[in-house]
Amino acid sequence: MTHKTGTDINEISINTDVLVIGGGLTGVKSACEIASSGYKVILAEKSPELGLKNFEDQDIQDLIKKTASDSNIDVFTNTNIVSSAGVSGDYSVWLLKKDEIFEKKVGSIVIATDSSIKVLDKEYGLSLSDKVLSQSQIESILASDKEKIKGKSIAVIAGFAQEGNPIVTQRVLNSVLAMENISGSTVFVYMNNIKVASSGLERLCKEGRDKGAIFFKLTDTPEIIESDEKIKITFIDPVLRKKLEVEHDLIVIEEQITLDPINKNLANLLRIDLGPQDFLQKENVHMLPVRTNREGIFVAGSSRKVCNLTNAWVDVDNVVLELKNFLADGTKKIPGDKAVIDAEKCTICLTCYRCCPHGAIYWEGDKAVISPIACQGCGICASECPMNAIQLGGYNDSFISDEIKAKTESKTAKPNIIAFCCENSAYEAGLMAESFKMEMPEGLNIIKVPCAGKIDLDFIMSSFAQGADGVLVMTCHNGNCKSEKGNIFAGWRVAEAQRKLEVIGLDKERLAFVTLASNMGKDFCRVVNEMEERIKKSG
Amino acid sequence: MNIELKKKVMVVGGGIAGLTAAWELSRMNIDVHIVEKTCFLGGHAIKLCCKATEECQQCGACSVEKMMKNVVNESGINIHLSTEIENINRNGNFKVSLNKGPEYIDSRLCTNCGACFEKCPEHGAIIQGFSKNNTPLYGIMEEKISLIKDFCKDICPEGAISLDKKGSSENLDVDAVIIATGFQPFDPEIEGTYGYNKFDNVISGMDLEESLRQNGCALKPSDGEKPEKVAFIQCVGSRDERLGNLWCSQVCCPYALRMAEVIKNKNPETEIFMFYMDIQNTGNSFPVFYEKCKSDMEFIRNIPIDIIPVENNRVKIRYLNDNDGSPLIEEFDLVVLSIGITPGEDSNKLSKIFDIALDEDGFISNGNKFNNSSTSSRGIFLAGTAGGPKNIADSMANAGQAVCEALNYLGGEEPIQ
Repeated sequence: MTHKTGTDINEISINTDVLVIGGGLTGVKSACEIASSGYKVILAEKSPELGLKNFEDQDIQDLIKKTASDSNIDVFTNTNIVSSAGVSGDYSVWLLKKDEIFEKKVGSIVIATDSSIKVLDKEYGLSLSDKVLSQSQIESILASDKEKIKGKSIAVIAGFAQEGNPIVTQRVLNSVLAMENISGSTVFVYMNNIKVASSGLERLCKEGRDKGAIFFKLTDTPEIIESDEKIKITFIDPVLRKKLEVEHDLIVIEEQITLDPINKNLANLLRIDLGPQDFLQKENVHMLPVRTNREGIFVAGSSRKVCNLTNAWVDVDNVVLELKNFLADGTKKIPGDKAVIDAEKCTICLTCYRCCPHGAIYWEGDKAVISPIACQGCGICASECPMNAIQLGGYNDSFISDEIKAKTESKTAKPNIIAFCCENSAYEAGLMAESFKMEMPEGLNIIKVPCAGKIDLDFIMSSFAQGADGVLVMTCHNGNCKSEKGNIFAGWRVAEAQRKLEVIGLDKERLAFVTLASNMGKDFCRVVNEMEERIKKSG
Repeated sequence: MNIELKKKVMVVGGGIAGLTAAWELSRMNIDVHIVEKTCFLGGHAIKLCCKATEECQQCGACSVEKMMKNVVNESGINIHLSTEIENINRNGNFKVSLNKGPEYIDSRLCTNCGACFEKCPEHGAIIQGFSKNNTPLYGIMEEKISLIKDFCKDICPEGAISLDKKGSSENLDVDAVIIATGFQPFDPEIEGTYGYNKFDNVISGMDLEESLRQNGCALKPSDGEKPEKVAFIQCVGSRDERLGNLWCSQVCCPYALRMAEVIKNKNPETEIFMFYMDIQNTGNSFPVFYEKCKSDMEFIRNIPIDIIPVENNRVKIRYLNDNDGSPLIEEFDLVVLSIGITPGEDSNKLSKIFDIALDEDGFISNGNKFNNSSTSSRGIFLAGTAGGPKNIADSMANAGQAVCEALNYLGGEEPIQ
């Protein structure tokens, strides 16, 4: 990486090669689209082959062929990621193929791991047999051997062993419809919540019913008894309000979409946050659609949510868009608002490395360095550094101290309230309250910070020392912080400051921690007025 | 990078999909024109409230605010408010004739002081936007102009209001078009037996969004007090064969559950009943969230047929007991009709102007089985709910896709001789 220092903007050149992890359909499509945008791609797939077996769509087959022959795509099959280092724009990744480990340098990483499926027969107390079929099995029978189910009574069961999702529903409904088209067969569908929240599924449901499929929508799992000849299902019919028993020749069991088990390992290797159910994206609207907590690492398709090909293609396009913005032509202009470590003061205690939510801090020799590309300017490290060795470009400590001083001095209205507001949420809410002419305390002073993570204990205490009657620390809601945990750090510091206030005999209620969103003007107004009331009451 | 003239793209619609598309295009150095028919940017999504309890519930409403701020501060995006597309002529690129409504409030003079809005004697003649990023924050309704002629003469301290302004025509040459014209919320009056607009305390999901956004809590319209017992009726206007609305609107379960949680969080004493057919998922943490909802409210798998008024502005709802089918009656002091997404009111007109196909439900149909942003016409792309129900996150992602496809199209286009 080379640095060219300008007046306030640095120009940095970065590697524009991209590593795509996962050679399933999302990975293949990503590789193709990224390569055609002019970037070199390394595509790593753990299995021996690209694509998805038995997926016969011609367009898809063409895509896989194109990927394999594209000179801008280096395909590595049977390959796993074993280690990584570096930061955004300059990642080193070590790949393992057979017994050989080799290093690749890339500027960006796209994770496109696939999902697989698990049959839920055991969850229904059954085992697959010639009478108990999985969703996949019925699909292949319908594709090749329809005669097998002619004249049969078939039960289809879904939504009891799992909540399910529209992808599961679509597969179920498609095969219900196909079975109804086979003469003499009758289909009974036992379902809990039918997940129809996807284009065309309600219509598919109706088509199935029109063709003669009988739907029983139940909230409790029906009793399923397998005998030598038949499958007997017993349940309370919600329409007739009566116990019913139906005998079937076959039962089709739903399948669960499961994530690639390597997700956990990848998250660990690449230092990205795991989301619910081990998806590779934390639930946080700032990450949407395809970002992770680390700049330059993106997630697409099943690696971040349950999805079909159409959804995955949306992700691929968004990844391409992000890459065009991030990599551009390999030169990046970096504004001067990033965090910088003073090497003289740094004692290499690792605090910054551990608390940086964006994995932006690395080691060069025996020095900690903050990558200006990866840094998102939240300031958590600057506030946490025990040596006070880190300053944030746009919001250094003396700038904020001056603000506190200026604001407490300039306003004579009492009580004097200092509100430290995260610029992504509470600050915007404050502007909204102002725009909509909501009445707020005269002595309110708003101090904008890039993230609540930059609100030092010192700022809070010195506000009181400068004469503030009350202090508010106003941040994003839990799960909505752009830097994931800036608000959590702020919460801890407020609790600490409250303890200190008590020690020096000040009412700790004069300091409050509040979470708000950018569109909560009314709540902003309520909070600041409540603080004013509280101060007035306590005198 | 090409040194040739910057490419120009028109984005039709200034809701969340249009805003996202415009922003992403401008980041790619494209000259963008947003054409919005109302006097405010933001569409329906800007009216939505934050649904956080102690935790963010991932509804995405704050993303709309953020995107709007991006767009209004970006000089490369030209915004045409109160503007409709008259016609379009395709000759290599697109020659668009715009019909611009009169700019009664001069945006260069208006300081958003609000004097006109606060003092307006005629309710609804001067309206207020939903976001501080709306400039001007106020709009004048053309059909009510005659009623406020005198009032407007010298109400504005800046002299920004002039009711004599006429509309104008403007021509625009663009290289590609993104259609992001959005949806129309289902009109709950169509379901007459629910008494929307007849009974004070029967409101729509959109009304509740606005109440939460503007008051910070749910209030009964009849007396402005907090409700003690609330019913949500799901699937109003969606999944309804009788109405021919054979689709799930996808957003109503998430918004109803999230707002119910907000009400419960602000006032844990509130009793909440959720009348539903099938509960749809909210996101990756749905299994955990759903369990929380189940412990906080009553779920009744039954869509009531009618709502009957009783004294004190309360209403009663009849439904069948889940266990034995016996009829039950429950009284509520607030009923929320979870209205869904229906095709935009201009779908037919747009389909003619742009020569693009509609699907059987009346949404703009996508031209490719795997690509949600393509239309049946080259150079015209689709973003957001114009193509069918989507939540905020999906509308934004779809807009990103439309931009990516539009860039591919612009990059690969042969120069027209």
